[in-house]
Amino acid sequence: MTSPVLQTPSLLIVEDSNEDFEALQRFLRRSPMPIPFQRCVNGEQALAFLYRTGNYADPQVAPRPSLILLDLNPPRTDGREVLRRIKQDDNLKKIPIVVFTTSNNPKDIEICYQYGANTYIVKPIDFELLKQSIQQLMQYWFQIATLPEKAED
Amino acid sequence: MTEQKVDLTNCDREPIHIPGLIQPHGVLLVLEASTLKIIQVSNNTGEWLGRSPEDLLGQLLSMLLDEKQMIAIEQCLAGEFESLNPLDLCIRRGSEWICFDGIVHFHDGVVLIELEPQTADDRKNFFGFYQQVRGTITKIQKAPTLREMSQVVVEEVRKLTGFSRVMVYQFDADGAGSVIAEATDHETPYLDLRYPATDIPKQARQLYTLNWLRIIPTSDYQPITLTPPLNPLTGQPLDLSLSVLRSVSPLHLEYLQNMGVAASMSISLIQDQKLWGLIACHHDSPRYVPYSIRTACEFIGQVMSVELANKIANEDLDYKMALKSLQTSFVESLSRSEHLIDGLMQLEGKLLDLVSATGAVIWMGGTPSGELQSNRCHCIGTTPPQSTLPALIAWLKPHLHLNLFHTQSLSALHPRWESDKAIASGLLALEISKVHETYILWFRPEVLQTVSWGGNPNKPVEVQGDGTLYLTPRQSFERWQETVSGCSLPWKPCELEVVAELRSLIVGIILRQADELASMNIELQRSNEELDSFAYIASHDLKEPLRGIHNYANFLMEDYGETLNEDGVGKLQTLVRLTQRMEDLINSLLHFSRLGRAELMRQRVNLNDLVYQVVATLTMARPQNAIEFRIPRALPKVECDKAQINELFTNLISNAIKYNDKPEKWVEIGYVGDIQENAQEEPLHPTVFYVRDNGIGIPKEYIEQIFQIFKRLHGRDEFGGGTGAGLTIARKIVERHGGTIWVESAPNVGSTFYFTLQAEAIA
Repeated sequence: MTSPVLQTPSLLIVEDSNEDFEALQRFLRRSPMPIPFQRCVNGEQALAFLYRTGNYADPQVAPRPSLILLDLNPPRTDGREVLRRIKQDDNLKKIPIVVFTTSNNPKDIEICYQYGANTYIVKPIDFELLKQSIQQLMQYWFQIATLPEKAED
Repeated sequence: MTEQKVDLTNCDREPIHIPGLIQPHGVLLVLEASTLKIIQVSNNTGEWLGRSPEDLLGQLLSMLLDEKQMIAIEQCLAGEFESLNPLDLCIRRGSEWICFDGIVHFHDGVVLIELEPQTADDRKNFFGFYQQVRGTITKIQKAPTLREMSQVVVEEVRKLTGFSRVMVYQFDADGAGSVIAEATDHETPYLDLRYPATDIPKQARQLYTLNWLRIIPTSDYQPITLTPPLNPLTGQPLDLSLSVLRSVSPLHLEYLQNMGVAASMSISLIQDQKLWGLIACHHDSPRYVPYSIRTACEFIGQVMSVELANKIANEDLDYKMALKSLQTSFVESLSRSEHLIDGLMQLEGKLLDLVSATGAVIWMGGTPSGELQSNRCHCIGTTPPQSTLPALIAWLKPHLHLNLFHTQSLSALHPRWESDKAIASGLLALEISKVHETYILWFRPEVLQTVSWGGNPNKPVEVQGDGTLYLTPRQSFERWQETVSGCSLPWKPCELEVVAELRSLIVGIILRQADELASMNIELQRSNEELDSFAYIASHDLKEPLRGIHNYANFLMEDYGETLNEDGVGKLQTLVRLTQRMEDLINSLLHFSRLGRAELMRQRVNLNDLVYQVVATLTMARPQNAIEFRIPRALPKVECDKAQINELFTNLISNAIKYNDKPEKWVEIGYVGDIQENAQEEPLHPTVFYVRDNGIGIPKEYIEQIFQIFKRLHGRDEFGGGTGAGLTIARKIVERHGGTIWVESAPNVGSTFYFTLQAEAIA
């Protein structure tokens, strides 16, 4: 049993709302364990980031994320589609994906888990609850859980 | 044989075809078929032939007739004797020759020769009669209606025969007859009089269909016996079914005498091998009609019989044309009106005309959701009292066949309607819808009230010396009166047909209206779905900016709380609180819109377990409140979406708990009526569940509002708060299950929410 290789954890946030992103950013920065993160504003951009196409050709610009925080309803390529594509890609599918969305529609929840989402969180509107959720999420994935090795570059 | 007493109690069994007697105006010879040996004769041979019966018996026929006549008879027996009858037979009596119309029949193993003496002018008139008959036939064929044809016939027959009264007598389905045409010089007309069926017994009808013509030249004749009395070949009475001389039942003679008829003749009218009616001739003094004229009359009767079908079809055609135009106005009226009953009510008189009824009832029972709704009924014309109608409808239901029921005598079927027989002896009922309990009933009065009857009801009963009732038409009428009491005129087949057609018209209209409704429903459903998904998207998208406002207000408080004064912080806090409230509303809206679209997961759910669970959960959440929960009897198992029904009970019960200011609160959960849990078929009416409380109640004017989304009757923070979507969601759940929900409430007393979880079955 070898202990997992310690790597710099990183987070990809797919979120089109600036306000939501600002809140996320605010809580992430205040987190006791700050995690470096990248932001894509839509699904198309997220896929470009992951496949390192276009502006994201440089691995330095687009490092492999340890965790993806995915909004379900960004413009252009839909969050569900992004999820499906990632989970069908042998190389990318091990990256845990946390769906972080406003929708509490049972159908969305069902479909995301079907596609292989690792966690589904309905964005709480309550400020304190939101803060708590994000902090606990980071703590869980980056302190409690053991993440796989990063996908190959 | 002759001694046997015949009276009204046994006249239906009287063997009138074997009376052993003949009328005195002719002679009967019975011959053994193989040898033409005389074996039986009437006892008046001496009078007509100058030879006693004893002289004739055992002799060959050739003793009486010459060779030429014998050949004629043999030819007659070998072939169509009907076309050869009558034979011109002359028999020597001493020095003179007497000429007879000889009528030969072969029947029941013996040859019957009946001899009727010819009168001087018979032969020479024959061709004149023929010309007359030919003219008559043309008139019969040209007559446009049954009545007019009958009138032609009675006038022509009267001209031919000279009878003082000639009538066409028509039987109805039950054998009662009525006079539909008459030619007479009598002052008292018999036209349109009706006679009871018992006036002509069954076996007489049978003989009428065998013999097309029957003549009684003298109604007070002395019948002639036969020698020997029995047919020597069979040892049985001689079968005189086909005999023209056959003696008439004493009962019939008495009947004729009581009517003052001294001579009569009748010609059968046959349709489809059944006795349709008679051409009846009466004369007030004895009258003999020679065979040749009788043959002409019989021919007229046969032509008329053939024409009957045509004329009746025409008659029906006229009636049907009238009915068709009535139907047309029905359809117009019914399709114009929004509700069936309105349309039918506008038709009032026409509804009666349609089947010649004197009263009608349009009955509209409960609607699918409306067990509780009262029956509506509309009466036209003369009908039984409204109070008796529910019982009548209930009785009627199992008696319907192909949506129809008809009777001439309702009181005979059930004594309960005896009291209404004067106005409702005849009932014709049409079922439009079993489920909606929609019926049309037509009534006809007792026939005694409506028609004039033959016979004289006021003539006193004659009692003989020995105390027995003396047979008179009066008595016959009375006996008959007993049997037809509570009877209406029969419903005609074409009337039943038109009513059956009326049903398909009405059903057609109802279906068309239902189609229109269905397409409107589809449209409505589509727009509802659009609205639902709009609500879903809108509420989803609303949440994002809302969360932004909420977060930014919090950011402000976090980052600049130090620099803001108390008032500024208070306003930010209000902003945060408002966003929270808005989120509640949006969530409710979202939930509601999702309910509208989510698929129902129907399964068999034990409501008893479910309700106990709901109660347990609710009491756990409010341990401080002491509430008495009443479940008077175990709730049944129901096919439903478990999660949704859980929410439904949760909403209703928590409302019942919430809106209650009594010191001792209770909530009762139960259902109305019986449960047919294991019924094979789906029950017609769904179970009605209820949740009842002794809470604050709802003022009448707000009852309609409570199911509207976000409508609240109380302050936001009174009675534990809430978004005001609970009942809207409850209603949506009930409607998704095909049921309905309604409330009965009295302020300060409490409310009862009723609901069903399935649609009313529609047959």
